[in-house]
Order: sequence, then C-alpha cells, then structure tokens
Amino acid sequence: MTTGDSTPARRYGIGARTPRREDARHLAGRGSFVSDVKLSGLREVAFVRSVVAHGRITAVSVPDDAEPGSVWTAADLAQLAEPLTATSTLAGFRAAPLPNLAADKVRYVGEPIAVAIAGTRAEAEDLAARITVDITPLPAVVGFSDALAHNAPKVHNDWPDNIFATTSGDVGDVDAAAREAAVSVTREYTMNRQAVVPLEGRGVIAHYDRSADRLSVWSSTQTPHMIREMIAILLGIEARRVRVIAPDMGGAFGSKCSLYPEEVALAAIAMKLDHPIRWVEDRWEGMVASTQARDHHYLVTAHAAADGTLLGVEADILVNGGAYSVYPWTATMDATMAAAMIPGPYRVRNYRFRTRSVAANKAPSGPYRGVGRPGACFAIERTIDELAHELGLEPYEMRLKNMVRPDEMPYTSVAGKVYDSGDYPEAVRQAAVLIGHDTWRKRQRGVPTDSRHRIGIGYGSCTEQTAHGCVEWATRGLAITIGTEGARLEMDATGGFTLSVGIKSHGQGSETTLAQVVSEVFDVEPEHVTVIHGDTALTPRSEGTFASRSMVMAGGASYGAARQLAQKVKRIASVLLDEPVEDLRLRDHAVVGRAGSLGYRELAKEFLFTPDHVPGIEGGLEATYYYRPAVETGAFSYATHAAVVDVDLDTGGVTLLDYAVVEDCGTVVNPLIVEGQIVGGVAQGIGSALLEELVYGDDGQPKSSSFLDYLLPGTTEIPELKIGHLRTASPNTVFGMKGTGESGAIMPPAAIGNAVTDALREFGAQANETPMTPQRVWTALRDAQDAMAPIAETVS
Amino acid sequence: MNEVTVHLTVQHQPRTMIIPARTTLADLLRDHLGLTGTHLGCEQGVCGACTVLLDDLPVRACLTLAAACEGAEVITVEGLEGPDAERLRACFAEQGALQCGFCTPGMLLAGYYLVRGRQPLSREEVCQAMSGNICRCTGYNAIVRAIEAAISQGIEAETAPAQTVPRSSGAPAAGTEE
Ligand code: FES
Ligand code: FES
Repeated sequence: MTTGDSTPARRYGIGARTPRREDARHLAGRGSFVSDVKLSGLREVAFVRSVVAHGRITAVSVPDDAEPGSVWTAADLAQLAEPLTATSTLAGFRAAPLPNLAADKVRYVGEPIAVAIAGTRAEAEDLAARITVDITPLPAVVGFSDALAHNAPKVHNDWPDNIFATTSGDVGDVDAAAREAAVSVTREYTMNRQAVVPLEGRGVIAHYDRSADRLSVWSSTQTPHMIREMIAILLGIEARRVRVIAPDMGGAFGSKCSLYPEEVALAAIAMKLDHPIRWVEDRWEGMVASTQARDHHYLVTAHAAADGTLLGVEADILVNGGAYSVYPWTATMDATMAAAMIPGPYRVRNYRFRTRSVAANKAPSGPYRGVGRPGACFAIERTIDELAHELGLEPYEMRLKNMVRPDEMPYTSVAGKVYDSGDYPEAVRQAAVLIGHDTWRKRQRGVPTDSRHRIGIGYGSCTEQTAHGCVEWATRGLAITIGTEGARLEMDATGGFTLSVGIKSHGQGSETTLAQVVSEVFDVEPEHVTVIHGDTALTPRSEGTFASRSMVMAGGASYGAARQLAQKVKRIASVLLDEPVEDLRLRDHAVVGRAGSLGYRELAKEFLFTPDHVPGIEGGLEATYYYRPAVETGAFSYATHAAVVDVDLDTGGVTLLDYAVVEDCGTVVNPLIVEGQIVGGVAQGIGSALLEELVYGDDGQPKSSSFLDYLLPGTTEIPELKIGHLRTASPNTVFGMKGTGESGAIMPPAAIGNAVTDALREFGAQANETPMTPQRVWTALRDAQDAMAPIAETVS
Repeated sequence: MNEVTVHLTVQHQPRTMIIPARTTLADLLRDHLGLTGTHLGCEQGVCGACTVLLDDLPVRACLTLAAACEGAEVITVEGLEGPDAERLRACFAEQGALQCGFCTPGMLLAGYYLVRGRQPLSREEVCQAMSGNICRCTGYNAIVRAIEAAISQGIEAETAPAQTVPRSSGAPAAGTEE
C-alpha cells in the first residue's frame, strides 16, 4: 500500500508539528497510572523476594496468624498457573521455565518467592517481613569467566554448561581478507549491565469479577494483547475471559514488553479472591527484578586495505542473559541482533561471527531501547576508528569510504539485512559540519601539552532496523513471529472519529500521531479523533509497542482503516449529493463535490439515524484494517552522531562539550515528537556511555540498586543537542515512515568512546568499556602510560 | 499502628487528618486525599517526581513525614494555578517537555518555583536548579527550554504591561499578566 492518491498536504496531517493531545491531562496531574487506579475493595501486595543470588530453598514459613488468602507461596500457586517457558527455534537452544514464585531454587537476588496481601502496601510489607525463607546458598555465577569456566556452578542443573544458545556464521572469505589487508586490528570491548529505569516502575492490578466471569488485569505493559493471551494460556482458561488494560504508563523503553511472573501470579491469585489486588513495584524491585540489559563482551578483529577499504570483520560476541529467558524474546535476542548489526552501515563482504548467550545469577535480561545495537555499534565503530588511526585517516573519512551509497539501495548487508533507503555518507558529512569538526580539531591542537585537559572528537554511525515483519523474527528464532497490527476506525452519529489500536503508547505520543493519520485522510483537527489504546476489550488484536514499530505498523493499520472508511463515506455522500464518487474530496470536516458538499456531522446523522435515506449502502460506519508490511525486512533508520569531549587527565572525568546528531527516519509524522524521541534516546545513550552500571558483587549481590548508586543522567549531564535531519522515504512503508524510537540511544557510547580515545591518543589509552567512569578512564590512562606497549595489533 | 492528627492546608483548603504516624506526605496526598498527581518515582529522595510546594518551597513529599507538616500549606500539581503556572504549562507543551508525563508534576512544581522567582537565569543556572529532577524520556533539552521561556515570559509580563499594554479598566499595572 502506498499513499496513492494525490492528497494535498493536510493542515494537521503527516508532517504537522501539532501539539500533543496527551499533554493536557499530564500537565494538570490528571494522568491515571496503575498506582492511581481506584477500585473498591482493592488490597495491596508486597512480594517476598530472594536476597540470595543462587541457593536452594529449604523452607518458606508463613506466620500462623496470617489471615486466610493473605499469603501465597509456590506451593499454593502450583495448581493455579503454569510456569512460563520461552522457547526458540535456534538450534541447541536451552529453555528454562521461569517460575511464577520460586519453589526449590532461587537464581537471582529479587526473584519472587511469596506474596503478602493486606489493606495497604505498608501493612503488606509488614506481613511480608514476617514470612521467613530459609535458603542454603550455592556459589553464584556472575561474570563471563565464572559462567564459562569448566567447573562452573550451573544456573540450571540439567544443562551441561551455562549457555542458552550459540550461533555462528561465516560469509565470504575472512581469511583471504586478512591476508590481503594492509592493517588488521583486534580489540576487546565491554558494555556493562544496565537497568532500564522507566520513571514509573511496573504495576499490576488483578480482579476476577464473578458475575461477569471476567478476569481483568491492569498492567503497565507495552504489550496488553500478548499479556492477555499468555495469562489465559498459563492459567488454563480461554482468553475471552481475560481483559488486560494498560492505563497511562510512565515510560518503559523495553522493560515492560516481556511477560512477568508478577503478572501471572497476581492474575492467578485474583481468580481465588473476591476483591481486587494490586502490586506496585518499588525502586529496589525495579533495579533488581525488572528485566535488565546490555552486559555484552566483544572480541573484534577487522581488516582494511591501505586506502581504508574495509575488507573483513570477525566478531566473537558474549551476552550475559541473566538467570532465565523472558517471554517471548528469550535470552538470545541481544546476541542475534548484535551479530546482525556488527557489519554496520558498511559495504564489507567478508564476515565471521560467533555469539554465545550465557546464563548467570543475575536478573533476566530483556529488551532495552536499541536491543543489542548499542553494544554492536560501540564495538564496530570503535574498531573503525582504530583502523583509521592505524592508516592515518580522519575517522569520518574512513566511514565515508566504506558506507553503503544511496545508489546501492536497497542493499543486502553481509549479515543479510536489507537496507531499504537513505544516504548514509551524507549523514556523516553533515554531522562533521554541524559539530564544527575543523574548528574543534584546531582547538584540540591548540591545547598546550602541559595542560591537564584534553579535547577529543568522535563519531558513531549506525543503521536501525525498525518495524520488521515475521521474516525477521523467525530468523532470530522467536517462537512467535510478530508482524501484524490492527486498527478500527469509527465515525459516530455526530461526525466524530474513534480510532482503536492494539499498540500501547507510553510516552511516544501515539494519541497525537495516529490522530494525525486520520486527519491526513479526513482533514479534521486531531482533537476530533479519540485514540483508544491499551485495552484488549476495546481494541483489535495486536502485538504491541516495541522494536520501533508502532508508528509504522499501527500507523499503517490506521491509514488502511481510514482509507476504507473514507471510501464508504464518499459512497454515502455520492448518494446524498447525487454526484459520482470520483468527484468527491474530503475537505475540512466535509465531503466536497463539484456541486455540493456535506459535512461529516450531517452525513453521519443521515446515514446512522435514517439509513433508509441512503439506499444501496450496507450498514455500519466503521472499518477495520490489519496491516502487514509487504516487505518484511524492515525500514532502516540511520544516523551519525558526533561528540566532542573534554577529558580531565587528573580525574578521568569526561565532560561533553558538544553533541550533534544527523538522522533520517524517513517521512516524519510530527517533528515535535520525533525530536523528543531523538533527544530522549541520546540522553539514555549518554547514560550508557558515561554513567549507568548495574554492579554485581562476586556473590551475585546487586550493588547499585537505588538512584543513589545507579547514576541517571540529569539536566547537567545533557548538553543542548544539535540535530540535523535527512528525509528519505522508505519504499516499504505507508507514507515512507521509518521507526525512530530507539535510534538515539544506539550511537552515544560509540561516539563518546571514540571521542575519549581521540582525546587520549598521545597517551595510547583507549575507552573500550562502558560506562566510561572517571575511574575507568583514569585507570586506562595510567595503564597505558605504565605499559607504553602497543595493544594487540598487527601491521603487515 | 500509632495514629497522629495533623492539621494542614492543601490547595488552600484546611484539612484535619488522622493518619498512621509513619505516613509520608506523599502517601497522605495520594492515598488519603486521592491527589494522585504527585508521583512516586523512587521514594528515595532522588528523582523529584514527588515534588510539592510546602509553605511555598519545593520539597520531596516521599521523604517528608506527614506528621511533620503540622500547620503547613501544601500545593500539589492539581492545585498549581495562576498565570505563572499556566505559562509554564503552555511552554512545556510547546517545547515538547513531556512524553510519558510521569516526571511532569515534579518538573512543574520545581520549575514554577524558578518562574515565580522573577530572576533571569542562564541555561546553566536552570540546569543546576533542575538537576534534582529526573526525566527518563525527554533528555531534558525541551524541559530546560520550556522553563527558560516561562521565566522570561514571567519577567516580561511583570514589566511590559505598564508601558506597552494600556488598559482602560484601571487594573493595577504591576502584576497584570496575560
Ligand atoms: S519519589 Fe520522591 S524523590 Fe523520587
Ligand atoms: S516525561 Fe517520562 S519521565 Fe519525564
């Protein structure tokens, strides 16, 4: 489907910077989040969680005076709900059932063990504190070397080792490339573990309404329909009896798109109670028991010719997936994405990789903005800079030389990804101009050698696959192959529009952008379109909001529904105005013909109140459309980021002096919202690069489980960004849109890592591990100065 | 559980509350008065989502014991009114200073305190002043711009009308705001 007819640009349609429809309620403090929902008889839940990373449960003792129905353990839950098992079609994949409440073994600090219910959260916590759990500790598996050691303790006893799955590939002839190369470099990179940290934690309410025979579950989830189906399956009931509602959500970024044990446990328990129950995650729980992210290690070797042509890349990728595979993504999601993204936006034809997804006694890993790409981008982009340095090239020239060119689009990468459109080199050129490359180079050279500061410039480029269809998910082994979205559009008897979509907007402003899609077709202000989302009883089946897919997929579905309804509206008008359909246009709340016009309000009233006035037109003033992209390999956004840093040689402190982004996400629906996605993503990427790290002790104890010791970027850490835009419509999507929810978060570690390394070139120190904390940078500097020995590299 | 009686004024309305002694101001507002606009992002005093005005000063409601608020005046986002509040809200919407809206109440209260101060502030000063409020969605650029804009509009509104917008109604010039 394409935009087809030559609709002139609409005032409030695609591309309009319309204000967000979500703002009024939030600015008034009238948002309604899970913790704000008011239900009569509602009681509150506190979880008892493991304080041991790895151990055997020997006893769970419930206080004798606990009221019946107020405490639930694994034994109580066993008959009520199956454990969740995420499976994969990847060869050799090892599944591990994820218990709703731990029964015999605990595998991470924070794993839920029992449920306590009371009138208030404080009282529920009092009760939880009186439930005693005896655990015999076992040695914990924490880092890669622990997990992969020959005699390593096993996270899952029935596995031969601690590996969820291994994947590998060998395309072209990397060995020949190595022989031909003028320069080869080998580097190791680490992107440490992070928390996702939506400001609102997770939250669940469950209530079984006996008279309606309906289980209602409110959850702060990106995927209400998926949660509904899985709760039904695990509880062994038909999904028709389950309704999932996702009310306002305080962000998610991927941490709320897996099915969680808390959701299943509350749903199962609620079926046995005659009152609703609610659990609201507190910050400690968020830091230890929500899905975590990153925790990657790369060994990369790259080969280049003397003129800078990239000849081949080898990558050995390790991802620490934590204790369990989450549904539906599994613990292999990051590794498979990273392997696909190591070749980056480059024309390299020889590529060999291996990935191993490793189990450890940490909270399960799940999706987080960028999924695998920030690590892969950090690894390949740092390597590009190392090659450029060896060859005496400006790193951005190395990029320009090797990037896929616009005349090569669509381009199938060496990893089999089909880059659909864009001008990758132009993004680099513009980023260099935007950041003021030459000026900064001059300033850099002007820094006196006895100064205790250095300036560095760094770039990071990436492509981002968005809105991919079934094919892509199947290649990555997912048991459910995602790729369809539905939308239903109704015109009511007063001429207003209600658009129902199954995705869940949680900060992206889809109530605005999807209304703009309707505006584009019907030429009405977005405020005449109510967008319903996040309620399975009110919306068509859907897969949810993740993978930068909602605008393209739900936008495609909304456009399909709007076009169908528009056709019908014109047919009705054709009868009422007595003009042929071809002569009718939709303009400013009305169907306009050559002779007459008819407002939507009159048309709807006429058709719905007195259908006999409109003979020959079938009933109903609504349309439902399911969108499935014709090309399922996705629409690739891309960008180049440029960072300028100051490094304090005495403290290792890194300060961002300037930051520029040049991005292309195809046709933009609302510039205000796209810019928000970019800046917000970059801020999270700066957190990855410089601040955020979930530290685990050797015993598996999380050591950064509050905002006091897990550093989030604040106002003073994020400079005012310079943003440049390129606009290449995707040939694969409605309007040429590409997703852009994740892009911003991908490149900052690469650009900043390259900038810090650039600043420290004269000392031979490199920034190869995130976050680049003062201590890490200072240590790298000291080690480099101590050693003054070249790092593993061969120059032939 | 020990109970205490607290007298306080919330959105200019006097209240007498009998509450468990351990109740925080945030829980009093949210659970006892249904004012759920005050959000809890950490309950550790770091994120600022729970910011309210307590006797005109921005404080963290999650770390404030309700029992310590005897005689105090509390304003939450729901009760934040007047020209400064409205221009701040308008600037937030115009700049794109909110996405999920979870940090927004705290940002508004902390920002309002700056706008009402009628002091011109540099970008750095605004960033410093707002550094105790975490937003995970917006990346702050738009929030900082919105607060800067609202501060200047507030200052302009205070000085401009007397000279440039003659009014026949005889309304007092200073403090007359659009
Ligand atoms: S909830 Fe009070 S500072 Fe975070
Ligand atoms: S808008 Fe979501 S945390 Fe600020």
